[in-house]
Amino acid sequence: MTNSFTDYKNSDVFFCIGANPAENHPQAMRFIGIAKATRGAKLIVTDPRFTKTAAHADIYAPLRPGTDIAFLYGIMNYAIQNNLYHHEYVVNYTNASYLVSPEYSFKDGEFSGLTEKDSVFSYDMKSWVYQKNGDAVKKDPTLQDPNCVFQILKQHVSRYDIKTVCNITGTPEDLYKKVCDLYCSTGKPGKAGNLLYAMGITQHTYGGQNVRATAMLQLLLGNIGIAGGGVNAQRGESNVQGSTDMAMLYHLLPGYLPMPNAAPHSTLKDYQATTPKSGYWTNRPKFMVSMLKAWYGDKATQENDFCYDWVPKLDGKDHSHMAIFQDMDAGKVKGFFAWGQNPAVGGPSAIVAKKAMENLDWMVAIDLFETETAAFWKRPGANPADIKTEVFMLPAAFSYEKEGSVANSSRWIQWRWKAVEPPVEAKSDLWICDRLMKAVRNEYKSGGVFTEPIFSMTWDYDIPHHDEPDIIKVANEMNGFTVADGKVLSSFGALKDDGSTACGIWIYTGYMFEDPVLKVPACQRRSREDKSNLGLFPKWSFSWPLNRRIVYNRCSADPSGKPWDPKRTLVEWDGTKWITNDVPDFGFKDAATGTFIPPEKSAASPYIMTVEGVSRLFAPVGMSDGPIPEHYEPVESPVKNIMGKRQNNPLYARYKGDFAKIADVGSTDFPYVATTHRLVEHYQSGIVTRNCPTLAMLMPEMFATISPGLAQKLGINAGDLVAVSSARGEIKCKANVLPIIKPLNINGKEIEIVGLPWCWGYQSLVPGATANDLTPCVGDPNTKIPESKAFLCNIKKA
Amino acid sequence: MSKGVLVDVTRCIACRSCMVSCKSWNDLPSIPGGFQNNWDAPGKMDANNWTVVNNYMIEDGDDIKWRFVKKQCMHCLEPACESACFTHSFVKTKEGAVIYKPTTLNQDYCVGCRYCMIACPFGVPSFQWDKAFPYVLKCRFCYDRMKEEGLEPACVTSCPTQTLKFGDREELLAEAWDRINKNPNYVKRVYGEKEYGGTSWLYISDVPFDKIGFRTEAYGKPVTERSIPSLTWDVLKWTPAIFFGWGALLTAMRAYTKRRAEVHDESEMYAPVDPKE
Amino acid sequence: MQIGRNWSFRITAFRMLLFAFVAIAVAAALYRFVYGLGAVTNLSDEWPWGLWIGFDLLCGIALAGGGFSTALIVHVLHKDKYLPIARAALLTSLIGYIIALVSLFLDIGRWYNFWRPFFYWGFHSVLFEVFWCISLYTTVQVLEFGDIFFEKVNFPAMKKILGALMTPMLILGIVLPSLHQSSLGSLYIVAIDRLYPLWWSMIIPFFFVWSAFFLGPAMVTVEGTLAARAYGREPEMHVFESLTKVTLWMMVIYLIVKIIDLVYRGVFSMAFNGSYESNMFLIEMIGFVVIPIIMYAIPSIRTKLWGVLTASILVVVGVIFNRMNVVFTGMAKAAGGSYFPSFWEWMITIGMWSALVLLYCFVVENFPILSKEDHVSHGHDFASKPGIHA
Ligand SMILES: Nc1nc2c(c(=O)[nH]1)N[C@H]1C(S)=C(S)[C@@H](COP(=O)(O)OP(=O)(O)OC[C@H]3O[C@@H](n4cnc5c(=O)[nH]c(N)nc54)[C@H](O)[C@@H]3O)O[C@H]1N2
Ligand SMILES: Nc1nc2c(c(=O)[nH]1)N[C@H]1C(S)=C(S)[C@@H](COP(=O)(O)OP(=O)(O)OC[C@H]3O[C@@H](n4cnc5c(=O)[nH]c(N)nc54)[C@H](O)[C@@H]3O)O[C@H]1N2
Ligand code: SF4
Ligand code: SF4
Ligand code: SF4
Ligand code: SF4
Ligand code: SF4
Ligand SMILES: [Mo]
Repeated sequence: MTNSFTDYKNSDVFFCIGANPAENHPQAMRFIGIAKATRGAKLIVTDPRFTKTAAHADIYAPLRPGTDIAFLYGIMNYAIQNNLYHHEYVVNYTNASYLVSPEYSFKDGEFSGLTEKDSVFSYDMKSWVYQKNGDAVKKDPTLQDPNCVFQILKQHVSRYDIKTVCNITGTPEDLYKKVCDLYCSTGKPGKAGNLLYAMGITQHTYGGQNVRATAMLQLLLGNIGIAGGGVNAQRGESNVQGSTDMAMLYHLLPGYLPMPNAAPHSTLKDYQATTPKSGYWTNRPKFMVSMLKAWYGDKATQENDFCYDWVPKLDGKDHSHMAIFQDMDAGKVKGFFAWGQNPAVGGPSAIVAKKAMENLDWMVAIDLFETETAAFWKRPGANPADIKTEVFMLPAAFSYEKEGSVANSSRWIQWRWKAVEPPVEAKSDLWICDRLMKAVRNEYKSGGVFTEPIFSMTWDYDIPHHDEPDIIKVANEMNGFTVADGKVLSSFGALKDDGSTACGIWIYTGYMFEDPVLKVPACQRRSREDKSNLGLFPKWSFSWPLNRRIVYNRCSADPSGKPWDPKRTLVEWDGTKWITNDVPDFGFKDAATGTFIPPEKSAASPYIMTVEGVSRLFAPVGMSDGPIPEHYEPVESPVKNIMGKRQNNPLYARYKGDFAKIADVGSTDFPYVATTHRLVEHYQSGIVTRNCPTLAMLMPEMFATISPGLAQKLGINAGDLVAVSSARGEIKCKANVLPIIKPLNINGKEIEIVGLPWCWGYQSLVPGATANDLTPCVGDPNTKIPESKAFLCNIKKA
Repeated sequence: MSKGVLVDVTRCIACRSCMVSCKSWNDLPSIPGGFQNNWDAPGKMDANNWTVVNNYMIEDGDDIKWRFVKKQCMHCLEPACESACFTHSFVKTKEGAVIYKPTTLNQDYCVGCRYCMIACPFGVPSFQWDKAFPYVLKCRFCYDRMKEEGLEPACVTSCPTQTLKFGDREELLAEAWDRINKNPNYVKRVYGEKEYGGTSWLYISDVPFDKIGFRTEAYGKPVTERSIPSLTWDVLKWTPAIFFGWGALLTAMRAYTKRRAEVHDESEMYAPVDPKE
Repeated sequence: MQIGRNWSFRITAFRMLLFAFVAIAVAAALYRFVYGLGAVTNLSDEWPWGLWIGFDLLCGIALAGGGFSTALIVHVLHKDKYLPIARAALLTSLIGYIIALVSLFLDIGRWYNFWRPFFYWGFHSVLFEVFWCISLYTTVQVLEFGDIFFEKVNFPAMKKILGALMTPMLILGIVLPSLHQSSLGSLYIVAIDRLYPLWWSMIIPFFFVWSAFFLGPAMVTVEGTLAARAYGREPEMHVFESLTKVTLWMMVIYLIVKIIDLVYRGVFSMAFNGSYESNMFLIEMIGFVVIPIIMYAIPSIRTKLWGVLTASILVVVGVIFNRMNVVFTGMAKAAGGSYFPSFWEWMITIGMWSALVLLYCFVVENFPILSKEDHVSHGHDFASKPGIHA
C-alpha cells in the first residue's frame, strides 16, 4: 500500500475493485466507515458478487470476472475525453510527456516485439524505449506529440468507450457512467480518491497489468502520494507484507533486491553492473553488500566479493509455486517442506497437485495442524498403502505463542509479544529453523559437497541456558548495524558498500532503532500521538521505509511545494523551509549542511524509486507482457475477446502434464464463469479456522453461490447438494442461492456466475470440498500468480 | 449512571467478531450445525449463543440492500424477564445490565419454569434444552467486565467498525439522534428508546426496522411503549384486595346462609362404590 | 384385587391398559430427568411452553374448577341440593391439581428447586401468585380430603381437628383458586403484542377465572354422568339440570364482557378478518359459548340428560379450546418456528391422565365420595341399564 489503513479516513471517494475488505480486511472498513460518517465519503465497489463490502457501497457495479482492465480503461478514457484528469500532476509527476520510440506499436492485441519460440511467447522490449537526446529523454510538456506517452495512452484507451467496456464487463451502462463520473470527481486538486484492490485484480493471467491499470488511473487523477489517496493493495495474511519484504518470492532477495541469475550475474561485479543509473536504486550496491555482510559476517570481505559466490542463483527457469508442482508431478522434485502453507487446498488445480505429491520421497509439514497437505496420502479416494512418501510433522507455534514482528499492508512493522505458551511440543518457527540449521551442520561435519557456505553463514543466535534463539539479535541483524561496534542503525542512508555495515533487509533499517523518547525499538512503539490529525500516527510502530507513512508524498504538493489540499498537508514548502507532517519521500534537506532543499529539485523526481524520477503511465521496462495493459480474456472464457485477435495474454504462464487441462472458449460443457472468494470466518486454506469450534460453527459447510435465476432454471433449491465441475475435476457442496450474484449481459449473451469460497478441505472439524480442485494451473507471466478468479465450470444438482 | 450500547446498523459488516468474543469471554461452547443459505449460522440466539448477527436481504427491484444486525438481550429499562421471574433469578442492575443468576447467593434458585422466556418481548432468554440441570441463559451485558474491571463489553471491544458504542444510555441516545438528524439516510427512529418502556441497547438504521427483524408493530398497531412489568402490575396489584375482600365476602355469605341451611351429617350421605356392582 | 383388609381395586382389561400407559409415562419421565427436556420434548426457545403446560397444567387446573365452584355453591351459598356432587367435585379437583403439579414438576427444568419460591419471593411475578395459590390450595384440598379420609381410616382426633379448620379452609379453598385461576390468565398479559389481540386483554384474568368457574358445573355434569355410567348408577340429573342455570348466566355474562372488551380495544373486527386466528376464535366463541348458551337456555334440551350432557361437554371442550388458543394458536405468529408435541410428550400426558382415571376409580371405590344410592330418588331409565364396568 502506498498509504495506510488509518489514512483512509482522509478519502473522499473509495474505489474498491476486486477486494472485499468487509470480509477480508475488517479494519479497513473501520476507516472507510469513519470517512463516510465524518466527510460523507462515497464508496464504489466493483466485484462480480454483491459482497458485504458492496452492501456498504454508494455504487455497486458488477463486472464479469477477469475484465478489470476494460473497466479501468473505460474510466481513464472517460477522464481523458472529458478532461477530468489532473493535468498538472500528469504533466509533472508522470512520464506522460516522455516520447516513446516510433518503433513502438500496438496492433491486433499485440505489442511490438512479440516473438514466438517453441510456442512460447516473449517480448523483445527494445521498441518500448524512450526517445533520447544523448542521455536525456525527449519530452513534450504540451502532451501533443503523437509519440508521447500521453497520446499513446489516450489513443490506446480511446478504444474503451463505455459501450465497448460494458459489452466486455457486463456492467449496466448507466451504472458504469455513474462510476466514471463519481470516481473522476477525484481528478481535481483537493479531492482524494482511494483505490483499493486485492485478489480480484491480481489472480489473473494479466494480474500484473491489472495492477498497472489501477496505478495508471490513480496517476491520471493525481491520487498518489496524497493523504486519502493511493493504490492500496489490501494485502494478504497479517504478515504477507513481511514475507514479500523478506523475499518469499523466488525471484527476489530481501528488500526487493533482484535475485542474481547464474549466467549473466556470475560475479558481484556483474550483479552491481545492473544497478539503475538514476533514482534511489542507485544505492543498491550498498544494500547488497550490507546484506552479504549480514549473512556471512567476518567471512565476507572485499576480496572475496563478500561471499557473493555462495548466494544461490537463478537458473533462468520458472521456480514459482506452479512450476514446483509441475516438477513434482514429473518426478523431478523428491523432497518438500510445507512450511506454513497448505497447497492441497490453496494451490491451483489442487486435485492434480495432491496427486503430484505422491511422487515425493519425503515431506516435512511444519504446521499447527495436520493440514490437507500433510495428510495428502489419506485424502478421500487415495489408497495410503500405495503411497510411499514419508511424511514428518513438526508442530509449530501459532503467532500468539511466540514473539516477533509482523508487517501489515500499511507497511507497519509491529512487534508482537508472546501471549500464551505453545501447546505441548509445538515450537516457534525460529526455533525449528535454528535446530534444522544446526542439524544440517552436524550432518556436514562428516563431509559433503560445497560445505563452506553452510559453515560460514552467520548463525549465532543462542542465548545461554535458553531454549529459544535470541530473536532480538535476529531482528537487529535485519535492521542493520555498523560492523565495527554493532550499533543498530537508524537509517539505510548510513549503509555502505565497503563492508563496514551489515543489514539483512535495507528497507527495514530503523525499525529496531531505539526511539529516543519512548525508549523502545521503533517497531515496539505504541503511542497514539497524531499531531497532524491525519491518521499518520508516527509513533505507532515503524512504517518502512524510514517510518514514512505515505510514500511518494512529494506529490501531495504542486511543483512549487504548495499542497494540493491545504487541509491534508503532508509536506509543504513555505517559501523558506519544508513543513513536514510525514517523513518526506524526497531529498528535502542537505544531509551534510542541514539546509533545506528548495522544491524545484524534488519536483523533478518525486518518484525517487524510478529511474526517470517520475511515475510511469507507460512502462518501457518492468513488465514482460507489455508496456501498458490491454484487455485479454481469461484463459478460460465463455466469450471471444472483442478487443483484438489475441484471445489471451500471449505470455501467460502455462504448465505441463495434468496441469495443462483447460476448457475451450465458450465451452458448452462448462458454460458458467466461476470465481473464488474468501469468507470472513475462515482464513485462507481454513485449516486453522476450520479447527476453531466457534468459527467452524459460524461457517460450517462448503457452498457454491448461484443466482436465483440459475437456481430456478436448474431446479436447484438453497441447501441442495450440487456438483460443480471444471476441466480439472468435480466437487460436491451445498447450493447457496442469493441475489448477490446475478447474470450479466456480455455482448448480448447472458452469462451466469458461480461463486466459490476456497477455504475447505477434507481435514478439520468441518471438512468440505476444495474449490481449488477446479481451478486452472495458469498464471500471470510476471508474478506467476494463478488465475483462480476466472475460469469455466458447470453446476448440477448432485 | 445507567449504561447502554448504541448499535449503528449502517456500519456493521457482519464480521461476527462480536459473536466470537462473546463466546470466548463467556466460555460458551460451539457446536457446528449445518449450512445456512443466509450465511448467518447459527441463525438465532440460543443458550450457547448469546448474540447473533442476522443478515437481511432487502430487495427492491434490481436494487438490493444487505444489512447485518447484531442481536442480543436488549437490557430493558424495566425488564419483563425480571418481573416474570418468581425466584428473583433476573436482576436489573443499576449499571443497566439485566443479569441472570444475579448474585452468588441465589445463583441456583431458578426452577426452570421458562416464564421469563414467555415474558421477554424480544424472545431473548434461551434454555439449555440438552441439559439435565438446565439454566436459562442470555447476554449479561458483560456485567463482570463492567463491574469488576471497568471494561466495556467483549463484543463492543472487538467490533472493528464502531458499529457498537458503549456509554451512558442518555448520552448515546443524544448521539443517536444527532447522527439521525445530521444524515437523512437514517430512519427517524431510535429503536429501544421507547419500545416496551425503553431498553439499554439502542439501534439506529438506514432501513426500516421491521425489515431487519425488529417488531415495530403488532397486528396492525405500533408496539407498546409501556413496560411489561407495569402492565402486569396493574393487575397484580389487586391481589391483596381480592384476597381479603373476596375472603371476607365469602365468610360473611357463609355465615349468613348457614343459618338458614339444614344441618347434615355429611358422613351419612356418601359411601364408596362397589365396583363389582 | 384385594389390598389388605380394607382396600380393594378391581383390575379390568381397560385398567390394565391404563396401567401400561402410566408405566410408559413413568419411563419417559425418568428419561427426561436424566437427559433433559430437549431429549423428550419438541420444545424450543420459540416454544418454551408446550403440551404439558398448555394442556396438563392450564386445562387441568381449569377442569378442576368444579372443585371451587361447587364449594362456593354448596358450602358458602349452602345450596344443599348440590351436596350429592360435592365430594366428587372435590375429588376430581384434587386429582386435577395433582396432575397439574406433576406435569409442572416434569416440565420445569430445575425440578429439585421447585421449593425455592417459597423462600425467595419474586412477588412481582404473576407466577409467584400462581405458585403460592396452587400450592396452598392443593394443601387445603388435601386437608379437606383428609376429612373424608379419616371417615374411612378411623382417627377421630384428626377428624375433629380438621372439622375445626373446615370453615377457614373452605373460604381459602375458594379464594385461592379464584386468584390463581385468574392469574393463569394474567400470565399472558406479558404476551402483549404477541398473543393475538382476540385473546390478549388486560382482563384476560377475568376471562380465565370466570370460565373456570362456569366450567365447574359443566365438568361436574360430565364426570358425574361418566361415573354413573361406569358404575351403573343413576346420574344426578336433578342436580345437573339445576346447575345449568348457574352456567347459563355466567356464560352469558362471559359473552357480553368478551364482546365489550373486543369493541373497547378496537379489535372486534379482527374476529372476522378471515385469518387462521379469527377462525379459531369464532369456532371457540360460537361453537363452545354461544351454542351451549342456547342449549342451556332451551328447557326441552336442558332437562334431557343428552341435552345437558352435550351442552356441558361443549363447555368443557370450549374451555380447553380457549386455553389451547391462548397458548398455541394466539402465540404462533409471534413465536415463529413450529411446535407439535413429540410422541413422548403425548405419552406422558396420556399416562398422567390415565393415572388420574385410575386414582379416581380407586378413591371412589374405597372412600365415601359418591352419594349413597338411596339419596337419589329421581329415577331415569338410564340408570337401569347395566354399568359399563370401567
Ligand atoms: N477472513 C479472511 N481474511 C483474509 C483472508 C482469508 O482467507 N480470510 N486472506 C488474506 C489474504 S492472504 C489475502 S491475499 C486477502 C485477499 O483479500 P481479497 O482480495 O479481498 O479476497 P477475495 O475474497 O479472494 O477476493 C476479493 C473479491 O474479488 C472478487 N473478484 C473475483 N474475481 C474478480 C474479478 O475478476 N474482478 C474483480 N474486480 N473482482 C473479482 C471476489 O468476488 C471477491 O469478492 O485477504 C486476507 N484476509
Ligand atoms: N482459488 C483460490 N486459491 C487461492 C486464493 C484465492 O483467492 N482463490 N488465494 C491465494 C492466496 S492470496 C494465498 S496467500 C494463498 C494461501 O495459501 P496457503 O499459504 O497455502 O494457505 P494458508 O492456509 O494460509 O496456509 C498457512 C499454513 O500455515 C499454518 N500456520 C499458521 N501459523 C503458522 C506459524 O506460525 N508457523 C507455521 N509453521 N505454520 C503456521 C497454517 O496452519 C496453515 O496450514 O492461497 C491462494 N489460493
Ligand atoms: S488482522 Fe485481525 S484484527 Fe486485523 S482485520 Fe484481520 S482479523 Fe481483524
Ligand atoms: S430483552 Fe428480554 S431478556 Fe433482555 S432484559 Fe428485556 S425482557 Fe429481559
Ligand atoms: S426459568 Fe428460572 S429465571 Fe426464568 S422465570 Fe423461571 S425461575 Fe425465573
Ligand atoms: S455484552 Fe457481553 S454477554 Fe452480551 S453479547 Fe456482548 S459480549 Fe456477549
Ligand atoms: S463486530 Fe461489529 S461489525 Fe462485526 S458483526 Fe459484530 S457488530 Fe457487526
Ligand atoms: Mo494472499
